[in-house]
Parts: sequence; C-alpha cells; structure tokens
Amino acid sequence: MIRTEELLLNVGPQHPSTHGVFRIVVKLDGEIITEATPVMGYLHRGTEKLAENLNFTQIIPYTDRMDYVSAMTNNYVLCHAVEKMMELEVPERAEFLRLIVMELQRIASHLVWWGTYLLDIGALSPFLFAFSDRERILQLFNELCGARLTYNYMRVGGVKWDAPEGWIDRTKQFVKDMRLRLDEYHNLVSGNEIFLSRIKGIGKYDAATAIAYGLSGANLRSTGVEWDLRKTEPYSLYSRFDFDIVTGKNGDCYDRYLCRLGEIEQSIRILEQALEHFPGDGETMGKVPRVIRPPAGEIYVRIESPRGEIGCHIVSKGKAEPYRLKFRRPSFVNLQILPKLLVGESMTNLVTILGGIDIVLGEVDC
Amino acid sequence: MEPLSFIDKPLSWGHAAIFIAMAIGVLAFVILFVTYAIYFERKVIGWMQFRKGPNRVGPLGLLQTVADVSKLLLKEDTIPAKADRGLFILAPVLAFVPSFAVLAFIPYSQNLQFADLNVGFLYYIALSGITTIAIVIGGWASNNKYALLGGMRSAAQMISYEVPLVISVVGCVMLAGSLNLRDIVAAQAGYFWHWNFLPQIVGFAVFIVAAISELNRTPFDLPEAESELVAGYHVEYSGFRFAFFMLSEYVYVYAIACLTTLLFLGGWNPPLPQLDIIPGVVWFFLKFAFIVFSLFWIRATFPRLRVDQLMGLAWKVLLPLAILNIFITAALIELFGMGG
Amino acid sequence: MKGMIKGLGVTLKTMGAKKVTLSYPDVPIEMPDRFRGIQYVDQEKCIVCNQCARICPTECITLSGKPNPDPEKKGKVLDTFDINFEICILCDLCTEVCPTEAIVMTNNFELAAYSRDDLFKDLKWLGSNTENIRQDNNNIGAPQKGAKA
Repeated sequence: MIRTEELLLNVGPQHPSTHGVFRIVVKLDGEIITEATPVMGYLHRGTEKLAENLNFTQIIPYTDRMDYVSAMTNNYVLCHAVEKMMELEVPERAEFLRLIVMELQRIASHLVWWGTYLLDIGALSPFLFAFSDRERILQLFNELCGARLTYNYMRVGGVKWDAPEGWIDRTKQFVKDMRLRLDEYHNLVSGNEIFLSRIKGIGKYDAATAIAYGLSGANLRSTGVEWDLRKTEPYSLYSRFDFDIVTGKNGDCYDRYLCRLGEIEQSIRILEQALEHFPGDGETMGKVPRVIRPPAGEIYVRIESPRGEIGCHIVSKGKAEPYRLKFRRPSFVNLQILPKLLVGESMTNLVTILGGIDIVLGEVDC
Repeated sequence: MEPLSFIDKPLSWGHAAIFIAMAIGVLAFVILFVTYAIYFERKVIGWMQFRKGPNRVGPLGLLQTVADVSKLLLKEDTIPAKADRGLFILAPVLAFVPSFAVLAFIPYSQNLQFADLNVGFLYYIALSGITTIAIVIGGWASNNKYALLGGMRSAAQMISYEVPLVISVVGCVMLAGSLNLRDIVAAQAGYFWHWNFLPQIVGFAVFIVAAISELNRTPFDLPEAESELVAGYHVEYSGFRFAFFMLSEYVYVYAIACLTTLLFLGGWNPPLPQLDIIPGVVWFFLKFAFIVFSLFWIRATFPRLRVDQLMGLAWKVLLPLAILNIFITAALIELFGMGG
Repeated sequence: MKGMIKGLGVTLKTMGAKKVTLSYPDVPIEMPDRFRGIQYVDQEKCIVCNQCARICPTECITLSGKPNPDPEKKGKVLDTFDINFEICILCDLCTEVCPTEAIVMTNNFELAAYSRDDLFKDLKWLGSNTENIRQDNNNIGAPQKGAKA
C-alpha cells in the first residue's frame, strides 16, 4: 500500500497565469485539486474609501484604475450614476462618443482576454495578434483623449474631448479591418482540435448556479441566459442600434470563449451603425452646474462592462463628495464561483477555468 | 580507401587524439547549431507574430543568443538551501551527456559518420531515456512543488511516448531489413516517393507526434508549461545549470530532426536521382532545416495539450496505430514484395 | 486536423506580413497632440488661484504666491510651484481647470529617473519644460470659459 499525501500548492500571487497578483491555495491529490481557496487583496487600494474625500470629477481618474483593461466603461458608470441622480441632460454628440469609445473598449478588453487566455492554454501567437489590433484601439483613444490606458475621458454631463479631425474615419477604417481580423482569429484558434479538447466541457455550470452565484457578463450568458444590460435595461443610446445578445448553451469554457468572440462581432455591428449615424456637430458637454452636488439620496446604476454587470451605488448627503460610494465589480463577483469549479479538476484546468472567468485584478481588489 | 577506415583498427594514441578532436568538432558544431537554432526559432516565431525577432545584438541580431548564453554563464550559481545538493548538481550534467552522446551514430552522408552502429536507432532510444531520469532528478532535487510536478509529468510523458516512437520506426526497419541508419537510407534511394514518409505514412505521422512529445516542445511542452507550472522541472535552476538543460533540449531537437530526415525523408538522397550532382550532405541539411522549421512553426501556432489527454493520445491512439502500421507493412512486404 | 492546418496557414501567412515592431529608442515615438505628458508651467500666466492644487485627486501639487513686485498691478504672482511626480497620475484635471492656461500638458512621456528625488519637479524644472507643449488644452473645467464653444 502506497502512502499518499496531499500537496498544498500556493499558486500566486506571483504566477504567470493569475493575471496579476491573485493567489489561490490549492490542495492537490496528485494533480487533482481537492480544495481551492482564493486569496485576494494584494492590489487593494481603497478606491471606495478614497472616493469619500474626493469630489465627483476627481473620482473619475480613480475609476480608470479599477478595471484597467476597460476604463471607459468604469468612467461611464460613475458619470451615468451622477447624471441620473442630478437628472442632467447629456448632448447627443457626447453620448455618441461615449458609446463609440465604450464599444471600442469592449473590443479591446475582449482582445486582451483572448490573447492572454490562449497564452494560458499555451499558444503564443494569439497574444501578439490580439495586442497588435488592440494597439490600434489604444492609438485611437490616445488621439481622442491623450492616454492609452487611463483615459479620464468622460465627465459628468458629457465628455472631455470632441473627436479630433479624421478620428471618425480612422475608427471606421479600424472597424472594417477588425471584421477581417476576427475571421483570422477564428482560423488561427477556434477550430484547433487541441484547443477545443482543452476547453470543451471544462468549468461547466448551469444557468441556475450562475444566477445563484451572481455571475454576469459572458459567464452568465454562456449558460444560455439572455441577460445583457445593453438590451435588458438599455442605457446610453443602445436602444437605437440593432445587435444581438450572444449566448451559449453548455456553460463551459468553450461557450464563454465563443460568447466573447461573438460579442466582439456584435460590438463591431454597433460601431458600424453608430459611426454611420454620428451627428455632424453639436455640444460635447451638457449644462452642468459649476460644482457637482447630487441631491441627498441614493442611487444604484448598472451597465454592461466587458466583464459583466458593473454597478455604482452612490449615497449622497447633498455635498460635493459622496457620503459612500460602492462599486459592484463584475470580476470580484464572478470570481466567487472559482472554488466550486476547481474541485476535482487538474492543475491544468485551473488555468483554463480561471482564465475563462476573465478577471482583472485591479477590479477584484479595487 | 574509406576516409574513416582507421575506426576498425586497434586504438592508438594518435587515433585517440583524432577521436577527441572529432568529438570537440561535433560539440562545436552542435553548439553552433543550438546558438542559431535558438536565434532562428525566435526570428521565425517573431515573424509569425508581426514582430521582427531579435535584432539588437550584432548585425541582424545574430549575436543575441551569444549574449544570452554569456549572461547565463556569468550568472551567480545559486543552489536553493533546501535542495538536495548532490542531485541538484548532477541533474544538468546527466541531462546533457546522453543528448550529446546520441549524436555519434548519425550519418550525414554516405561517408560522413562517426560511429557506424548496427543497432542505430536503438542506441538513440537507450541513451535518450537517461535524460528523462535527469529531469526527474532535477525536479525532485529542487525541493520545489512546481518542479516536482514538472519532473513527474515529464517522466510520465517521455516514458509513454518512447513506446510509440520506437514502434513507429519498426516499419522502416522492416522495409530496409536493418536497424543500421545507413542501410535504412540506402533502402530509400530513388525518387522522393520512395522515401519512407509515403509508404510509411502512418508510421511517419506517429513518429512526428511522438518525437515532438519526446522533445517536450509545443504542443507537448507540459513538463515546463509556464502558464501552469511556472517553469516546470527547471524552475529552481539558473545560470549555467539552466543553460545545460536548455542546451540538451536543443541538442535533442538536432538529433530528432536528423533522425526524421534519415528514417522518413530519405536522408541524403536527392528528391530526384537526376539531382545527384548536388552533394548528399546539402540535401540532408535542407531536409533537416525543414524539420526544424516545422517544429518552430508548430510552436508558433498550437496550444498545449492537457496531461490526461496526452497520456490518452500516447496509449490509445499512437500505440495502436503504430502496431497497426507494423502489420500493414508486414502484409505489404509479404503480398507485394515491397522493401528488401 | 482541419482546424490545426488552418491555424498553421494563418501563421505561415503572417510570416510575410508587415511587421508592427517599432524601433522605439532609435526612432522616437510621436504622440498625438492631446497626449498627456509631464506639465509645463508658465510663471507669467499664473494668477495663483489654486484651482489646480484643489482639483488634483492625489494632491501632488503645492504652490505659493507672493504679492506682485510691480506695485501698480494687483493680485499675486507665482512664487513656488512643485509637482510630486511620484504620485501624479497625469489625469489632466489641473490643466482642465486652469483659467489662464498657465499649467499645460506636454507630450514628454519619458519620465524614468534613478532617484525618487528626481521626481520632485519644481518651478524651475516645470518652467523649462518647453518642448512639445500641447496646443489644444480644452480647459472645460475653468471658471470663466465654461463649456467649449
């Protein structure tokens, strides 16, 4: 009789596949995981607490640093919450610009996910394919607002910058190219048998479990639930455009993969329409009081970020600073299901499942 | 007179000196190969990813690997405090020595060969198995959990894949009627459709898959899967000890590329007998370069397999196919009088 | 097999494609005009209104003024102006609220330094940072101008 022992393995915080400073303590029986405990907080900066001493314009740059892969949606959720609270009108042109940058950001964010996920699974090239296209989006953002990652682009009541000369045309060109590139991505990876055998049927859960765990975004839609806040609770101008909710069937990593790539395609569709109907001129900043003081009260606003439902809960006492600010960060909530999914899987699947959830540590720890 | 006729004569000091000089010559050649194989790997993979690859050190980046290796050699030699010191030091040596020793039997053309072994291929299998032990030792001695997992994976993988690797070659051996690599190449003379990769298409496929797996290269690079095991069995190694693991890995690339050329691509035979004017050694290296390029190409494209799939592939797919191949070959020889 | 061969085709095709690598340190990167690099401060224009220091989310700006040496003119002139670049996040808010465009962004982004002390930028440094100054500063947050015309 062989005496076997459980192996306690510390994955992270410095590990190539935890996408940042995330740590999981796993108990291994051979290579099979019997227990997994996520440990987080290595990137906690206290954004919510910091916000209590800042006025709303000052909080915007902090939201950039939560989900740093998709800062535009974070900008939006805060501005949108304050606007709703103060019942401000946002000019159409500004709203168009917001929508365009958010959809570009969704593509950029899914590209980062796609590249790094394939890197986790062991394919080297997709990463650089994705990043060379993301680079073009970042370049567009750089021209628009002067930064490549932490944009600080939106303001309460509008956006900081109008589109520079030729920007809309360059974006149109990019969207056109992106369609072709997406086909190339599918050719490069989606049909690869090794890849399919790696992710099909891995990390499976059903719709009821997903809802019980509060999952959102592609993690929820992969189970077949048609829940996309852009459609179910339209905000911004989404109700004007024609697009579909991409859903999966089985709720495994493969469906999540297809959902995300499908969302890139839907974003391209939205962008094509939005760029076509972009208003020729107009204000980019609405009529906003000099000091932004939302009336006393509470509000919860949620939108669809690339990772799922990002929410902003503001408690105001009528001052320029929020009394309490709470972000519902999709990465953090989606991560909850990880320990459940990992039990009984091998070390290799740990990487596949964790990558499939698509977390950004800046957002998990906030 | 054969240029290497002294090999059959009794050993004298003079001959011993020649042997040593020749061994050093091979070593130099192999190290040159490894240097530029790494360079071309990085270049090719770079090109396939919209990049330029190394281009900073020396003209066209040609000295990049030289710089990297010098860095490794000059690095502080660290041995973890809790490591098993003896085994930790032994492992890289044990990994490298057999990888170099297997090169002795490879014929590059009709006359250019160091040891004309009758057991040819078996010698390769026998020696390359030792490297597996070195990897397990390295993984164990590091006293690191990731290294241990990597070492264990490696052992399981290499032992599993050696079986189909050997059996897939049996078809070629049957056609040539000899284990001697020169005889196997001689049996493939003629047009390129006489090369073994067409009559032995199943064996060829199995051999390629098993060989890539033996090399621990993508898509079978599980022992050092960086996204799961950080670096696998050599996670605690640095400096020149790491360089030895690296070196032996690339020397095996060299050996496997040579073997594939010899066993399945007709060795130094030109694709058409009319092209005989070009020396055999050129053909050999053209085919060899193609194999090496394919390895890089595959690495740039494919993701990695999972451990259980890897084992399943070896025992449930490759092994039955390889055995089937033997029976098909035997039937072909018996019924149609193929081979010798 | 089909999917794998398709993938191999894509990588092979890419081999001949145009490369995206930049020769960055050899060829400097041209940033678009709106790029937010380290600030330039114009001592003459500053009216010491303290807007920039107040809006700064990380409180990295400290400034002080002194009475105008020209007795005929009213108001203050800038005496010291320091930005602690260890904590500046280049969020662009200081330039946004400046009513006189005394503090503006430049396109200079190469900010690495060997010492933390080098990251403390005083008026002398910021005033001599005159290269690649941003043309369009769009100071929508400034009190007088309000929304952009």
